[in-house]
Amino acid sequence: MVAAGAVPASHVPEESLGRTDLTEVAGAELVEDAELRVHAVDMAAPDPPVVSFLDGIQRWKVTFYDGVVPIVRAYVAGAVRRRSTGRRLRTVGEATREFHVTSLNALRPGVRAALEASGVELVDVAEQAAQPGRALEAARRAVENARVALEKSLGERHARTLAPEEWLVVDGLLSESAVLADHPRTLGVIKSHGAQYFEGEALTRALTLPALHRSSVFRPRGRARHEVFSWYLRLWPWEGNDLLFGLLRVEACARDAGVAAASATSGWLTRERAPISTPDPRWDRLLYPIHDVETYLKTRAPRDLLPRSTSRLPKTGT
Amino acid sequence: MIQRSSAVPIGRVVATELKPATPHQFHFWTATETTIGIGAIVKVEGGGKGEEGRVVHGVVTDGFAYSDLATPLHDVIGAEGDPARAADSPTLRQEIRLWTAAVLRQEPEEPLQPVPLGQVFVATDADVAQALRMDGYLSSATPTGIPLGLYTSGGLEAPVYLDADFLLGPEAAHLNISGVSGLATKTSAVEFLLSSIFQHFPAHKGKVAAVCFNVKGPDLCFLDQPGSLDDADRRRYERLGIAPQPFARVRYYAPFKADGVNLNTLRTHADLVGDVQPLVWGLQEVLDFAEVLLNRDDIDAKADAFIDFLSDRVLNKDFADGFGGTHRVQTFADLDALFRAIFDGLESAGRGDMWRTHHIATIRKVRNRLSNISTRCKGLVTDDGPSSDLPWGTLEDRTVYVVDVANVDLLGQDLVFARVVSKLREHLERRDLGVDAVVVFVDELNKYASADGPETYVKKMLLDISERGRYLGLVLFGAEQFRSQIHRRVVGNAATTVYGRMDYDELATPGYQVLSPATKIKLATLPVGELMVRHPHFTQPIFVRFPRPAVLRGRDGVERFPPATDLPFEDAVVRQLVRLDSRVRPNQIKDLIAERTPDDVRRALAATRRARSDDPLGVFRRMLGQRVGAPSPDRPREAVPPLNPIADDPY
Repeated sequence: MVAAGAVPASHVPEESLGRTDLTEVAGAELVEDAELRVHAVDMAAPDPPVVSFLDGIQRWKVTFYDGVVPIVRAYVAGAVRRRSTGRRLRTVGEATREFHVTSLNALRPGVRAALEASGVELVDVAEQAAQPGRALEAARRAVENARVALEKSLGERHARTLAPEEWLVVDGLLSESAVLADHPRTLGVIKSHGAQYFEGEALTRALTLPALHRSSVFRPRGRARHEVFSWYLRLWPWEGNDLLFGLLRVEACARDAGVAAASATSGWLTRERAPISTPDPRWDRLLYPIHDVETYLKTRAPRDLLPRSTSRLPKTGT
Repeated sequence: MIQRSSAVPIGRVVATELKPATPHQFHFWTATETTIGIGAIVKVEGGGKGEEGRVVHGVVTDGFAYSDLATPLHDVIGAEGDPARAADSPTLRQEIRLWTAAVLRQEPEEPLQPVPLGQVFVATDADVAQALRMDGYLSSATPTGIPLGLYTSGGLEAPVYLDADFLLGPEAAHLNISGVSGLATKTSAVEFLLSSIFQHFPAHKGKVAAVCFNVKGPDLCFLDQPGSLDDADRRRYERLGIAPQPFARVRYYAPFKADGVNLNTLRTHADLVGDVQPLVWGLQEVLDFAEVLLNRDDIDAKADAFIDFLSDRVLNKDFADGFGGTHRVQTFADLDALFRAIFDGLESAGRGDMWRTHHIATIRKVRNRLSNISTRCKGLVTDDGPSSDLPWGTLEDRTVYVVDVANVDLLGQDLVFARVVSKLREHLERRDLGVDAVVVFVDELNKYASADGPETYVKKMLLDISERGRYLGLVLFGAEQFRSQIHRRVVGNAATTVYGRMDYDELATPGYQVLSPATKIKLATLPVGELMVRHPHFTQPIFVRFPRPAVLRGRDGVERFPPATDLPFEDAVVRQLVRLDSRVRPNQIKDLIAERTPDDVRRALAATRRARSDDPLGVFRRMLGQRVGAPSPDRPREAVPPLNPIADDPY
């Protein structure tokens, strides 16, 4: 196979474990080069003196059933941690939200009254409450939307106060927020690649980028709510692993200056791959500062929302 | 002087199932940049429900640092195999400084509970006093604190006090100090502590003195001379409330060299030798301690009985030898004359080989051993003439008595130790020593009280002090290099134990298993001037710093006051008499001693010294040529009761 031109790989797709990801062919418009090309990143480009990183987490679990109607307790949190001199991250912004998610109309009056009396915010998901599976999917979407909204709010608040030389790196889409998408020193770092923007030869070129290289800058189409520029960036060699191993998609504001700085920006983003963020399985794409923010948030999350260990018996340390 | 808490927490107690907090130990984390280190004292304040008001003091015994790195291989991957690039990462990994602390004190003490998972603060002066339970003896109606040094951590310098009741009796007593040789820490620490005791010994406990045996070089020869101190030392003295001064009253004693006129000490510089008193003992003093000098394996019950006979029936009495001669034995020379008379009498009378129930072989054996003593210890033991001794019964308060035996034969050292300490014990038992407590400082315990060495009289004596001295006020300050090799009852009875820098091999011995690896590492690298101390009130070992003693160090002393070269016999005699009376003309003395035998001159000189006359030359002239006897021929024998053989059971 190798002799015939195939590249060795070793990858067990997440889908094989039962997880699915939304895939779509979104389309894109090149803003750099006439056709998608491969560029070496500028590893000599200097790091910004101050960079902040934004990430968020969500936790939820079913805490009650009223009949077959699940009552979900949810927690979402986001934080911005800034790195300046000293190379250590310090929290400069943080927000949390706790709420219950359920189909209020499907609850019996007594249960509903008790839930409302608890003082915890309630989020109503009216749809398909009769089916527990669908109710849970609705709850998941509600929690995710809450987390995205909280991250967006936190990011916008911090973007407005960015110092002149400070950058903000967001874990996820920049195009969800007009403020973030329009800021000249914000970047979105996307690790999952459900949406594909190219086909054919361009797609092959984009997904087989060598390490320390980037694609031409393009303007994504499809779900993007606010206009941004984007490019692919390979942090680690993918050969021997998977096409998406070490592959990031970067979003930046849609300005010509962003195109000109894409290689330099990619350079310092590439350096963020060290230290590597193990033991997280996504370490090939997860920048360490983002991992740090996530760890910070996890340590502060309510312990009772953590998934149970396999056994429901108490686990001893000995 | 008490520093108040800054109330800024520096850490927080953490507990997991694998590393829980217990009533005796807890773990806490701090920022990576912290002043906390091994030996630091911290305070935990309980903040949870039911823990309000609970305060726990602890001392840091171990420290850990680690990052979120899953395996070392991941660091290699992140740096792409280049160690130089490992430090280039834009973000530093999350690190932890996790500390283990041993509980010093909990308040309230009952019910005893695990340490609360509260905030951790650095200790203040008041916290140190509370943590070490010093408040009990510092703030009582009759304080008994003796400053030992400063606990130092993160800019804090808090005085640490020992309890005089537990250092010098009667509750507990004795101090043992260990450490590698060559750093001057052990000697310096003892000198400083003696100075502290003299300045802070509570008035209600009476008078105190120290008897120090100088066993090597010039270590203790300049205790009355000021040494050099820097500003840090002076600040520490001020913090401890001790005046940085040399000892005001020091009395030096040294035996003569073999010539009998030059002192066997390094304190012979012309400016200093004047206050060195000779230490000379005669037959009577030696016979009291015959057990010290005669090898137990060599002397049997018969010889013992003969020695007792000599002591009880012969010494200082008019004694008829049974062959027509009468002897008054006061000196070794008299004793030898008696022996010759016995041998001659038995031979001429042809009465066989028994004399007064003693076999001639036993008599010959005792004669050989006793005559050997005056040869081996020449200068300390005089063949003929009066003795010169410490002022038993008139020891002065806050005075150091230095007995210099550094250049004395091992046998002579044994004799000096045994006799001096036994006399101290006797007088303290009778409460007529002149002081209420005496600190006896003995260096080189590895030589004198080793665990596996021969059973010597000195070892038995040291055991006796260790086990019974505290009731009498007889306190042993012992120093050695290898604590593990000291007789366990000597070190076991020392209520206060001090450690200087320790040897790695020594720290690997079982006696140090209670210390954490980090504490051992700190002990192995302790700088000069820092000690680890254990004291009955301290539940954990504490590190303290002490200032340099305000006395001239031995090696500096011999540079500033070089020892005088030995004088010719005549000049040495002149110097000693001139010291007694500056009006004496050297030529007068030289004329007097011309054509006299050295023994005659030595006897006369010793008698003149003892007479303390206003006219030393007149006394010297009178004594020359006449026989000089022991001062009190009818003195009842004051032999020290025999000590028990060394056994595991002290009772």
